[in-house]
Amino acid sequence: MIKLLSYLIGKGVATQRKPFPKPDADVWGFPEVTLAPCEGAACNKCVTECPTEAIAITIDGDKPLLSLDRGACIGCGRCIEVCPTKTIVPNRTYEVATVTREDLILTNSGKKKVDEAKRTPRANLHIFKESVHARVVSTGCSACDAEIGASGNAVFDIERFGVHVVASPRFADALLITGPVSKGMQEPLRRCYGAMADPKLVIAIGTCAITGGVHKNGYTEANGADSIIPVDVYVPGCPPHPWSIIHGVLVAMGKAKPYIHNPETITPELVAVAGASALAPALAPDAAADASESSAAAPSEPSATAPAPTSDPSPELPETESGPEDAKSEPKSE
Amino acid sequence: MRLSRIAVPMNQLVQNAKQWIDRNQRRFGMITSIDGSQLVCVMLDPANGTAELWETKLERNSYKAITNQLPQAHWNERVLFDMFGIVPEGHPRLKHILLHEQYDPSLFPLRRTALPVQSQIDRKFNFLEVKGEGVYEIPVGPIHAGVIEPAHFRFSCLGETILNLEIKMGWVHRGVEKRLTEVPWRKARYVAEATASDTAVANALAHAIAIESLFGAELPARAETLRTLALEIERLAMHAIDVGGMANDVGFLGVFHNLSRLRGYALGMAQALSGNRFMRAFIMPGGTREFDNARTEKIKTLVKNMREEIKPILDVFEDNQTAKQRFSVASVSKSLATEFNLVGVSARACGIEYDCRRHFKHGLYPQMAPPIVVRAQGDILARTRVRVAEIYSSMNLIEKLINEIPAGKTTINLPDTLPADEISLGIVEAFRGELLHLIVTDEDGNIARYAIKDPSANNWTAISIAIRNNLIADFPLANKSLGLSYSGNDL
Repeated sequence: MIKLLSYLIGKGVATQRKPFPKPDADVWGFPEVTLAPCEGAACNKCVTECPTEAIAITIDGDKPLLSLDRGACIGCGRCIEVCPTKTIVPNRTYEVATVTREDLILTNSGKKKVDEAKRTPRANLHIFKESVHARVVSTGCSACDAEIGASGNAVFDIERFGVHVVASPRFADALLITGPVSKGMQEPLRRCYGAMADPKLVIAIGTCAITGGVHKNGYTEANGADSIIPVDVYVPGCPPHPWSIIHGVLVAMGKAKPYIHNPETITPELVAVAGASALAPALAPDAAADASESSAAAPSEPSATAPAPTSDPSPELPETESGPEDAKSEPKSE
Repeated sequence: MRLSRIAVPMNQLVQNAKQWIDRNQRRFGMITSIDGSQLVCVMLDPANGTAELWETKLERNSYKAITNQLPQAHWNERVLFDMFGIVPEGHPRLKHILLHEQYDPSLFPLRRTALPVQSQIDRKFNFLEVKGEGVYEIPVGPIHAGVIEPAHFRFSCLGETILNLEIKMGWVHRGVEKRLTEVPWRKARYVAEATASDTAVANALAHAIAIESLFGAELPARAETLRTLALEIERLAMHAIDVGGMANDVGFLGVFHNLSRLRGYALGMAQALSGNRFMRAFIMPGGTREFDNARTEKIKTLVKNMREEIKPILDVFEDNQTAKQRFSVASVSKSLATEFNLVGVSARACGIEYDCRRHFKHGLYPQMAPPIVVRAQGDILARTRVRVAEIYSSMNLIEKLINEIPAGKTTINLPDTLPADEISLGIVEAFRGELLHLIVTDEDGNIARYAIKDPSANNWTAISIAIRNNLIADFPLANKSLGLSYSGNDL
């Protein structure tokens, strides 16, 4: 026990002091939509690649309108890889929880107009401002549960924000739902919700809980929590990062601002990161030819050349942190 | 590996299967059906790294259950009943397992042939009742007190002692196997991964291997190395949190919190390797996503730090008298483990030398496979010690491989259409044990049947065996030590 204590003291504080740090450069991240003009139906690569039909391209006036539903997105990153115009780039923030379903749908047409009244949650928020007791109901594949678990660990420490995970709905203020809520769990979920005292908050965590993800529209009716009980806050991700889960709970408590997509705030740095080696194109077999020509800004070309030059094992892929030359490569919003 | 159908007549099936598993550590993989008009058994031969597929035509939608002679088939046969409407006659505990009462009694999602005679399927779940003076039942779940997947446990107790535990699964049945036959094969990998996302790498790998063997494709060394790294990082992360979870269940919070912090190091490696903490969408049929060699330094540092920091914690934990005593319960005998076909850590803790990494080709295995870790006692302590030893062997392997990532391509081209009328099998040692993905294509090259056998489908029985005649207070610990997946089983 003495050994353990001395170890613990030696380790100091592991907790990240500043909430919501920016993701590391190696994080793939969820897609973000910029104002960069999209080539539209002529390209359509992201639409055909998307495994969950989260992307649609329509015509808005005379130019193509791309809309991407984060509530359906599983973050596979294929759209980011194949997008030739950088209309879709990796997201560089963990603060992605929204209050309305519409706010999860990103478009390249500028700031979305959503009725502010809709963004005010149902429940009387101020009473949860200091603390909530949360009940977790899992109906899915355990990844979101693992990340909820991680949000309680020493690094993220959700308890410091006044959030406690409790063992019964009877003394819970908030219900955290993970998974697509297939037929088997619909009735237990309803009963759990019914057992909670009013006012209560419901937070759908993860893409499955929002739309069913890859499981939607099957014989098990796994279409997310929305159709079963009313949802106050949506946290997209597959699974969401622990910081995103914390963000979702804080939004529900009224302690943090929900995510509102505003492509005008997407900085050149962000687009630069999008071109950095974090996004070396994963030359999927069928897209190999397309990717090598379309991702002109992607510095690494591991399979585009003959095997000889790549046989050097030393890391020589340029590690663009936020080089000025990259930053100016994609001017936008002008 | 690619498999061909070997016809086995109904009246010889049990006999042949018994002969098979009696010889030379051969194993029973699973019994299922393709479209409802036959039974197929996947039989594994670890010593030679091969497998066979036995096909038995069914004339009716019922047959004489094999569970009475081969207990390892008992959940498989219940799945046949639920998903195909095939009735295993004489099954000792025939009741639904995946589809609950709320599903239409005539729904058999995976059946493609017409039912010869409409059988009346009763989806009602009748728990085994234990009778006697003072015996009472404790129902637990499906929603549990902690942050964990759902299942219903029905304990029959006498005083504090558990006489019987019956488990009702199926709450997170999402129709994964059916969905895998509906999507284009290039998008199927996302569904395969979502079977159980704590096992995303192993599922993606088994899926990729099954698809690649349909084409007979060979992968570049770089892809195989990256895949092996991914699999070991997943094992490291999950073993660390599983051992931590056991510390939590005995109130050893200092160890628990440090192991959950150190799991973050493994997730950091995962992120550096793939850009995602769970390495989702990293492995695909034909290779892996591109990896930037500049990131090897980060992984090296993380694994070095993890090794330095995890050793004192694991030493403290292993030396702790309280933990040792709490862990010396819930044992499973080797004979029962063999009879019920346990796999992975749970099997190795009972003295069964079975680790797919030593037997079947996937990634850089079997060449790079670490020695099999075996403990004889079969109790919670033995399972913990197997995991601890595997934490070290995984770190060794990661440290070795990270210095040896070959240059070259990470992907190869695969044709757009799968070969018609073929069967292939992907076998992977997930951190929980033997994982099987079986793909059967139809005459147009579409996936006609996709069967997944998660290691937990074998191991769920172990908790009922292990907890019998133990205290109810030891249940959470025993359950944690077996590390079972709910979603992997429920599909």
